[in-house]
Amino acid sequence: MNTSHQRWLLEQLPLWERDGLLTADAARTLRERHAVDDSQPGLAQIVMGALGALLIGTGLIAVLGYNWDDFSRPVRLLFAFLPLLATQLFSFRVLQRGTASSAWVRETAALLQALATGACIALVSQIYNLGGEWPDFLFWWMLLSLPLAWVLRSHAVAIFYLIGIAIWSVNQVDHGRPWYDSPLLYPLLLLGLLPYYWAGWKNKALLSNSVRWVMTISAIFGFCSAAVFVCARGTLNSGYHEESSIWLWTLTAAAFALFPLNQSSIDEPLRRKPQVILGSLGLLVYGVAATFSDISREILWGASHALRLPWCWGLLAVLVVFVLLALMRKRWAVLAIASVSLLPFLMLPFLPLSLSRVNDRPDGTLLSWFALLHLAAIGITLIVLEFAGKKGAPRLGATLLSLLIIARMADSDLSLLVKGLAFIMVGVAFLAFNILMSRMLKNKAAVSTAA
Amino acid sequence: MKTLPLILFGIAVLAQWAAPLSQIWTHEQVLAKGTLIKLKCQAPDPYDPLRGRYLAVRPVQQEATVPAGMKLQVGTTIYAQLTSGADGLATISDFSLTPPASGDYIRLKAGWVYNEKMSFEWPFDRFYLNEKLAPEADQWFAENIRSDKAIIAEVRVLNGRAVLEDLSLDGKSFRQILKERMK
Repeated sequence: MNTSHQRWLLEQLPLWERDGLLTADAARTLRERHAVDDSQPGLAQIVMGALGALLIGTGLIAVLGYNWDDFSRPVRLLFAFLPLLATQLFSFRVLQRGTASSAWVRETAALLQALATGACIALVSQIYNLGGEWPDFLFWWMLLSLPLAWVLRSHAVAIFYLIGIAIWSVNQVDHGRPWYDSPLLYPLLLLGLLPYYWAGWKNKALLSNSVRWVMTISAIFGFCSAAVFVCARGTLNSGYHEESSIWLWTLTAAAFALFPLNQSSIDEPLRRKPQVILGSLGLLVYGVAATFSDISREILWGASHALRLPWCWGLLAVLVVFVLLALMRKRWAVLAIASVSLLPFLMLPFLPLSLSRVNDRPDGTLLSWFALLHLAAIGITLIVLEFAGKKGAPRLGATLLSLLIIARMADSDLSLLVKGLAFIMVGVAFLAFNILMSRMLKNKAAVSTAA
Repeated sequence: MKTLPLILFGIAVLAQWAAPLSQIWTHEQVLAKGTLIKLKCQAPDPYDPLRGRYLAVRPVQQEATVPAGMKLQVGTTIYAQLTSGADGLATISDFSLTPPASGDYIRLKAGWVYNEKMSFEWPFDRFYLNEKLAPEADQWFAENIRSDKAIIAEVRVLNGRAVLEDLSLDGKSFRQILKERMK
């Protein structure tokens, strides 16, 4: 239950008590069980505080960027350091007051200090006509801002940092760079947020949903950039195989979907698990694309080259650990979806038999059929699990089956009339299934209410 | 108040001061004690959204022959020995992998290396201008695009570090020229 639901519940309790719906003891138990932690800021507070700080901070950068060349160098340097000093004092005061400071003030102080830091280093670069690319500036800005997310428990600075390191990683994919100036640094930069997460975990405060989503999206960009970088660097002598990145992206998506969770996190609603949603979505898109033999051929070609890269083996090792943990937690639906990523791996023993004569590229037909059958089996499993009384995803299963039929129709040489009729039939079946599921859920709800 | 967050905050504050202060210290040293060298360059006018308007400073010398026996890769640090000619303009006369024992030199990064030729990156590439002056600089370049007059980068050099001090034209500060044009 999220904070807004808890607040609503706490508002209702006195009314329910007064109407005799709840005993005083039951109301007290509910109050204790769903107590709202006011030290955690609500989304509106973060947004308002962050917006104010952002406006002031960017305004400051723009004012300093005007380049006041009528003033001497020391005076301009003073302009650079005064806002930094002011925001540091503000943050110190907030830190000193501890829990007496409201959450939005903490957020505002942290973000203002982060922006003042950026403005200061930007102005120093401007005064001394320093060269360098903006990603270098961004990198140091993010590193200098990171501790503010830890000490002030600022979600806004954490989000700012996550966006910053993702943008930096995407910009560092050129293969000529040393590893310490490349997206290979992204995992370490992400780990930099560990103290922020740790402090929240110690206080039993859940990571906010907005931070979770931004973290997942940032990680997608960061790890995918790293995959592109290792592919470009690892294949310098044998030509660049951009297809290799596709399989590495897929393994990354599988690792996201299978990211280890404890039982309470597994029981949370899906919208609070963006890594599962986005990882699964990526895997299913990849799986449906793999049912086309042309794309399968490219995937196989890329996978055979990707296997020469240590990054690939590292991902596979991580995946093995995640799979074992997911097996222990009985996360069958996610395991079924994640298995799509390993299809090219299973196909590799057959490669010498299926080599085509065109450009020595492997024939993708076998993989495309494997992918089709595998996805169909996943779709059916997701539906059957639900009907067997276990945690499935029947609507996702039905969508997957419909997508497969549509993909095969689009791929076939059948006449437009046949394709059209097939599309209509799939659409009708899909809607009918949706109605059936809605009724089933209603019946379930009615039975549990009656019980 | 808990101690650990306070210590971490203190470290963060120190780092936030140390990063710009170290830059200031290094560049002030170069400006105060460095040798002034002059480099012929071109300067178009792009825009940096984070740090304001600047002129992209591009010295004319962008390529050189790789000295015999020198093994280079993209990004290798090299030291360029600077020699001033009769016209007072400096050019790179030699490269080495270690700092030269005497004379003025700049630390550079090697770019591409092909057929005994190499490119390199100068340690300065921009000259920041006031927002009011930048359009005037645009106008000046539009009017003087075919002119033989070259912009001269006045750079202070010390122990391999370089700080771009000013741009000049016919011995006059370029910023001053723009200010006079605006009157």
